Amino acid sequence: MNWSTLYAKAIPSLLAGTSKRPLPDDLIPTSDANSFAEMALLSLTGQGLRFERPPGPESFVIEPDIKDERKIIADGLRRPLIRLLTAKGTTEHPARALARAFDRLRLRPHPFDLPLIDAFVRSHAERLGPTAQHWADRQKPEAQTQSYFDPEVLDESSWAQAAVSRRVAYMERRRREDADSARALLESTWAQDEPEARFRLLQALQAGLSASDQPFLSTLEKDRAPRVRALASRYLARLGSGGENPALRECLERIKQGESGVLRKRKALQLELPANVKDQAAWRWVRETFVDVSISELAAALGVNDEQLIEAAGKDEPLLLSLALTTTNDRRLDLLEVVVKHLPNCWERMFESGLDTLGMMTDSERERWQEIIARPYGKDLPTNYYAWDWLHKIAGVAAPASVMSMVLQTKLLANLPERERGGAPWLEVMAAVCPATQRQELRGELSDFDPSQSVNALALVDILDGMEKERTHV
Amino acid sequence: MSLTLERIEALAPDQASLAAARKLLKPSTWPTLAGGDGLVWGECQGSGATPYRVVVSEADAGYKCTCPSRKFPCKHALALMWMRVEKSVAFVPATVPEWVKDWLSRRRGSSAPAKTEDEAEPKPRPSIRYAAIPEAEESTDPKVEQRAAAARERNRLEREAAVQAGLEDLDTWMSDQVQRGMANFVAQTAQACRTIAQRLVDAKASGLAGRLDALTTRLFTLPEPARPTAAIRELGQIHLISQAYRRTPELPSLLSSDTRQAVGWSITREALLSDPDVLRVDAHWRVFAVISEAQPDRLRRVETWLSCEGIAEGTPQYAVLIDFVPVSTVAAVGGYLSGDRIIAELAFYPSTIPLRAHITNLNGGAEQSRDAIALPQQTLADSYGRYERALAQLPWLSTFPLCFRSAHVRRCGEQLYLHDEESRLSLPLHNSQNTQAVPLASVGQIDGIGLWNGYEFTLAWAETQLGRWLRS
Repeated sequence: MNWSTLYAKAIPSLLAGTSKRPLPDDLIPTSDANSFAEMALLSLTGQGLRFERPPGPESFVIEPDIKDERKIIADGLRRPLIRLLTAKGTTEHPARALARAFDRLRLRPHPFDLPLIDAFVRSHAERLGPTAQHWADRQKPEAQTQSYFDPEVLDESSWAQAAVSRRVAYMERRRREDADSARALLESTWAQDEPEARFRLLQALQAGLSASDQPFLSTLEKDRAPRVRALASRYLARLGSGGENPALRECLERIKQGESGVLRKRKALQLELPANVKDQAAWRWVRETFVDVSISELAAALGVNDEQLIEAAGKDEPLLLSLALTTTNDRRLDLLEVVVKHLPNCWERMFESGLDTLGMMTDSERERWQEIIARPYGKDLPTNYYAWDWLHKIAGVAAPASVMSMVLQTKLLANLPERERGGAPWLEVMAAVCPATQRQELRGELSDFDPSQSVNALALVDILDGMEKERTHV
Repeated sequence: MSLTLERIEALAPDQASLAAARKLLKPSTWPTLAGGDGLVWGECQGSGATPYRVVVSEADAGYKCTCPSRKFPCKHALALMWMRVEKSVAFVPATVPEWVKDWLSRRRGSSAPAKTEDEAEPKPRPSIRYAAIPEAEESTDPKVEQRAAAARERNRLEREAAVQAGLEDLDTWMSDQVQRGMANFVAQTAQACRTIAQRLVDAKASGLAGRLDALTTRLFTLPEPARPTAAIRELGQIHLISQAYRRTPELPSLLSSDTRQAVGWSITREALLSDPDVLRVDAHWRVFAVISEAQPDRLRRVETWLSCEGIAEGTPQYAVLIDFVPVSTVAAVGGYLSGDRIIAELAFYPSTIPLRAHITNLNGGAEQSRDAIALPQQTLADSYGRYERALAQLPWLSTFPLCFRSAHVRRCGEQLYLHDEESRLSLPLHNSQNTQAVPLASVGQIDGIGLWNGYEFTLAWAETQLGRWLRS
């Protein structure tokens, strides 16, 4: 008897049970029909099954062809990177700094490491290149995925395939060069974009906004995404073709106008907070109220120019904060600099207001923005960890060299007040914001700490140095 | 604060730990002793199958050892500190190895300062001075030895009888299952197996009990339609072992040894190492997989798989070192990491297919190497053929290493397969690898090695066009 015959005859009885379906007589003669013979047959069949080769599937999935032109990170950095990103108690700071470095240096994680640093890849996929984006999207339905192509140089034919952040940067550059053709390009792909991408691309339209954008913006008043509709209305109001900006009206209702000065009368403005908004909630209320208003709109409505508006705010802290927020939102860093002269603790006030984005600012603008809000502190930089945590999160770039110099000169880490020691990951945040040129100096400071405290921070600066060195050697 | 003898005394959990540490001060016990960047580390050949890896931070006396001891610090960490303080042994300056870096990145901050003497519970402080007094040699009275030997023989005979009785119970239980049918058995595996496994534990047939205990998990890792036939395989195998055990005198000696080990008769480390007839292989070995699995008996089984480099004809190509540690201890994995290279003599447990081994002599410490693993020119189908031949020799062979060249990882739905184009052989990858091995589906041909358990293939190592891939 061969295996297939045994299989066909024995398996049905063994599965159903020999009491219900006795084994065929030619397998166990009636005279031998006892339990031992049945069990011997069980063993024989079981052993026969072990020799069956596993049946493979008829066909396999065809894996997508991903064109990833980025260079894979050096082998020597892979293990330290995995160790750092999966270390016990590690914070978001190393991940943010590493994602930035990957993006800036046009590097990508090794494909084999993606499953091991899955949480990092999902959080920062856009900065890690097409292979990582494909990994992060692998659970999404096919309809929601993209082409996973991230060309080195974007042009009109390839821009729609790149990551959103690069598309936004490209659109903004094109708007400055030729606003109308850039808008036409945006219009050509508008229908295919996701709401988040539409919103971010629409933000880029702010550059070179003019009356010729009005027809396109009018069509967006019926967009499916509320954020897109709101932004389009705001642009239209700014162009004078939409209705009155309701946010502006609300702001003006709260600004009390008066005069100050004895010899020379000057306009004096004061922001009146609602009676039910007190203490810490005040800064948050200011941000929420002024979020959709530009400084020029405000100045025009109050009959002054931008500089006079700041001057008129005088020493009214809530109003100065509102101006700091609007100048930040409008990327008017020249005006922010003036506001900060009147509001030296602008950094902490903006942090307390819950500001969570610098919008379309470029990397160099972000650096300058940090420099402006940190300058008034001089040697007395904040020793509140959450202020630094916020700064790193919102700026999304390294700190300017001048700020880091102050951190190092004043030995901020070594001189932290007692309440700040131990708990908060100060060393990690400083390693993450430290510019490349000052890492060696920071390394010296870090080495004074217990190795168990500095291990992640030191690993981060080593990896960042390694990535930069690798890129310069390409 | 640097290390001093007083600090070691303060750290020692008790006097016995210091006395035990003193015995480890011989350099011959330490194939590796090195230091650098404020750390010292070493490998200590203990009673486990793999050497223990110990690291100490000199600044704060932080330590880590891979041994399963529940004393902190253990004797290995104390001995390492002691040798460092006494400077009696040279610590080779070296770059910090990966396993030490792993520990550094995971260690907690310095623990709270020790209680002052006033606050602390009064207890006798361990002293190095007392640990230095050599213990009296154990007496070897021949009469005592004779009585002990007689007691051992009596115990053996009692156990043989208990096992035989247990096997009778097993037959009855097995017969019931065959009559009820495997489809029915699968529906109530856990309940059905628990009672008989307990009875076999009582009958001192722990090997068979373990197989039955693990059966539920094994079946439920498989797709539902495959479970009833898998139950036929598993129960058939258990019956085969139980029948073979009753006929051990008729079997060839190696198969007889396999049978007794499968039932639960273990070979102690001492018996193995003192047996002049066991197979010993002195060679260069490469660690290709370290697999740690918690068992139902609250022990963790740590398997360290080795591949022989420069294979000589007739010697085993692979070996596995097995350690058991309590699940509650932190030693989740063995001392070695995949990629480590060691030069060692291994003693193999007697078997028709010798795989399980013990290190008898280590020549130096383990070295992490970036070299590609040495693989024979075999396709997956060739390797699978070797598995089938081994299975014919040892019918209850469980895990077997398969190496391969020019295979592909392919995906069908969420399931990954290791696929050989030429023979069309496709082995499903272990469920736990359906995420980690996904990137391999996009890299084309791979060479590698892994472990086949008859149902699933655990890919351990792959050499690809994008470099080395290791199971983690």
